[in-house]
Amino acid sequence: MLDNLALGFSTAFTPENLLWCFIGVLLGTIIGLMPGLGSTTGVAILIPLTLTLEPVTALIMLAGIYYGAQYGGTITSVLISTPGEAASVVTTLDGYQMAKNGKAGSALAISAIGSFVAAIISLALLMWLAPPLADLALNFGPVENLAIMILGLIIVVSFAGGSLSRGLMMAAAGLLISTVGVATGFSDARFTFGSVNLLGGIPFVEVMIGLFAVGEVLHQIRLGADAPIRTRFRDMVISRRELKQSAGPILRGSGIGFVLGILPGAGSTLASFMAYGIEKRVSPRKALFGKGAIEGVAAPESANNAAANANFVPTLALGIPGGGTTAVLLGAFTVYGLQPGPRLFETQPTLIWGLLVSFFIGNVMLLVLNLPLAPVFAQMLRIPYGYLYPIILLTSFVGAYSVSNNMFSVVLVFVFGVVGWLMKELDLPMAPLVLGLVLGPLFEKALVQTSALGQGSFGIVLQSPISVTILLFAVALMVGPKIAARFAVRRRPAAVAAHDSTPSDRQHEDVS
Amino acid sequence: MTGAQRGGLIASIVLAVIGGSAVSAGLGYGVTVEGGEIGPGFLPVLAGGLVAVFAVLDIVGRLRPRRALPSQAELILDTVDAPPAGVAGYLAEQNAADPGAVSTSTQTIHREAEGDEVDIFGRTQSQRNRMLGIVLGIVVLTLLAVQLVGFLIAFVLMLVVIAVFVERRSLVPSVVVALVAGGVTYAIFVALLRVPLPQGLLGLI
Repeated sequence: MLDNLALGFSTAFTPENLLWCFIGVLLGTIIGLMPGLGSTTGVAILIPLTLTLEPVTALIMLAGIYYGAQYGGTITSVLISTPGEAASVVTTLDGYQMAKNGKAGSALAISAIGSFVAAIISLALLMWLAPPLADLALNFGPVENLAIMILGLIIVVSFAGGSLSRGLMMAAAGLLISTVGVATGFSDARFTFGSVNLLGGIPFVEVMIGLFAVGEVLHQIRLGADAPIRTRFRDMVISRRELKQSAGPILRGSGIGFVLGILPGAGSTLASFMAYGIEKRVSPRKALFGKGAIEGVAAPESANNAAANANFVPTLALGIPGGGTTAVLLGAFTVYGLQPGPRLFETQPTLIWGLLVSFFIGNVMLLVLNLPLAPVFAQMLRIPYGYLYPIILLTSFVGAYSVSNNMFSVVLVFVFGVVGWLMKELDLPMAPLVLGLVLGPLFEKALVQTSALGQGSFGIVLQSPISVTILLFAVALMVGPKIAARFAVRRRPAAVAAHDSTPSDRQHEDVS
Repeated sequence: MTGAQRGGLIASIVLAVIGGSAVSAGLGYGVTVEGGEIGPGFLPVLAGGLVAVFAVLDIVGRLRPRRALPSQAELILDTVDAPPAGVAGYLAEQNAADPGAVSTSTQTIHREAEGDEVDIFGRTQSQRNRMLGIVLGIVVLTLLAVQLVGFLIAFVLMLVVIAVFVERRSLVPSVVVALVAGGVTYAIFVALLRVPLPQGLLGLI
């Protein structure tokens, strides 16, 4: 363990890696606070830029964007009640109220501190948990790997939003897209329609950039522009009393965030909602929630950051991403020629431990950046979207071109941009599609090996106790939430009846 | 049936057709090889079949009316009191999409502007829809123009045209922004990363 840490420190502390880590967290903060630019989009656009870097340096920077965006997303939630990231939605509840009460500084400070504490706690847990999990997974054969991948797909589907069947449909669509081209192990070209460009398959980076960057831009154009932001506030001084009030929520939030983040697919959004809900129940100052309670900022902000880090446990140890952004990061691994999965801990210790240690460094940088500079970052919000989105389009297309030096990539980005926009308009979840696409080749390999082991039969999947357990867990995840939701509704009929229209019902009435 | 619902139905029908075609193509590639092990057609048949089945399920579900359950997010938050607008909109958006699920995607949360709601420039929904169509058209023209004037010039022109004619920004700042963006792109991709961006028939840069 100590050897690994030392290795990590010696990797992460080179001037080059420190510089790229800083660039990553800085860009991440800016990307996180821009409404219309999320961490998934940011990572997808910037993958082409990192192709000339060492894989470890590239991943340090891309990961920095991911957790930097968690800090940035808070700033807009607090100042203008518009979350830059889905994981910061809950923060608008009390954060914006605090800002209205003239306490924007305290709100931003406590979320920076809470995020930092959560990050340190969850990183320590991550370093402690991931290696043994990877060790365990190393004993897995193709049968267990197949089960793990099915579990991963189902988990992402069950939490990705949208209905279960539509999520599964998108995961299958991702698998289908991954079959284009000449597959390893087979000599035939599939679904190429005579195009030479498609022989190598549909490349991952282009799909990512199309779906998340171009699709998002097209979606935002239709939504219309938001009012330009003007904010001014005095200081970031936070009182000792506020710190004391926040200590409990920060620790509880970190715990909840880590546990939920470690489940692949659960993600930081759910963690932040959960942390807020629990805090609201246990807090002695319940009445203040929704009116500017600092606990209502500290808990979800700690939780989403803890979850963001915990997401790396399944991503690194099993090769199953915890959410949309980690799915894209996982794709980045394959772009650098690294096969994600438990073997990485053995074959690439420098990369893994360098990356993990860089999270510590990045979070320290973010704390230092965010405590005094949050108001400065907020000025970025004054850039009109009318200038911003054409630049995002330019970056997307030039980035895609630079991956392959081929206009075909640019056309693919455009096509998947339109697909991504349609998916957004129709509420089809993207994370399952991405995961299906990333896992496709591995999935097919595991299928082939399993069928070879079973001499053409998949019955052998049911002979391994590990794979049976994993598959049962997958089924429980698929069915469980529906049952739980039904119970929850039944338990609270009075509350629902008392307010015969919940916000959602009202919305439905408005729409219809 | 609203536009979005109709769109969803059409998308599911298209996906059902794609899935079905993948199955038939996959059968042609060969589901199994000699010895009964799976062949190159197996995954296309499996994935295409799943796409088709779920698409058909979705079509059936859409044609059958049902009552929405509260979303997980609402259950967790206990939001029987209406939360502030941003969150209410978010939750409603989630719920309108589907009962019983929390989104973990990074989609940003904007107010859902349906109907004739006007944005800050006084543009109505139908005007914004038209803008989207225009931007899509401009992007297609830009991609075609790459063959003629080259990649960088085409995209710098695109930046100016979108900013000035679609977004109604003043000419001078738009040109400055476009030139700076083009310059930075040149510095990073051409000078630093040595990407051979297409120069088009003009062959300038």
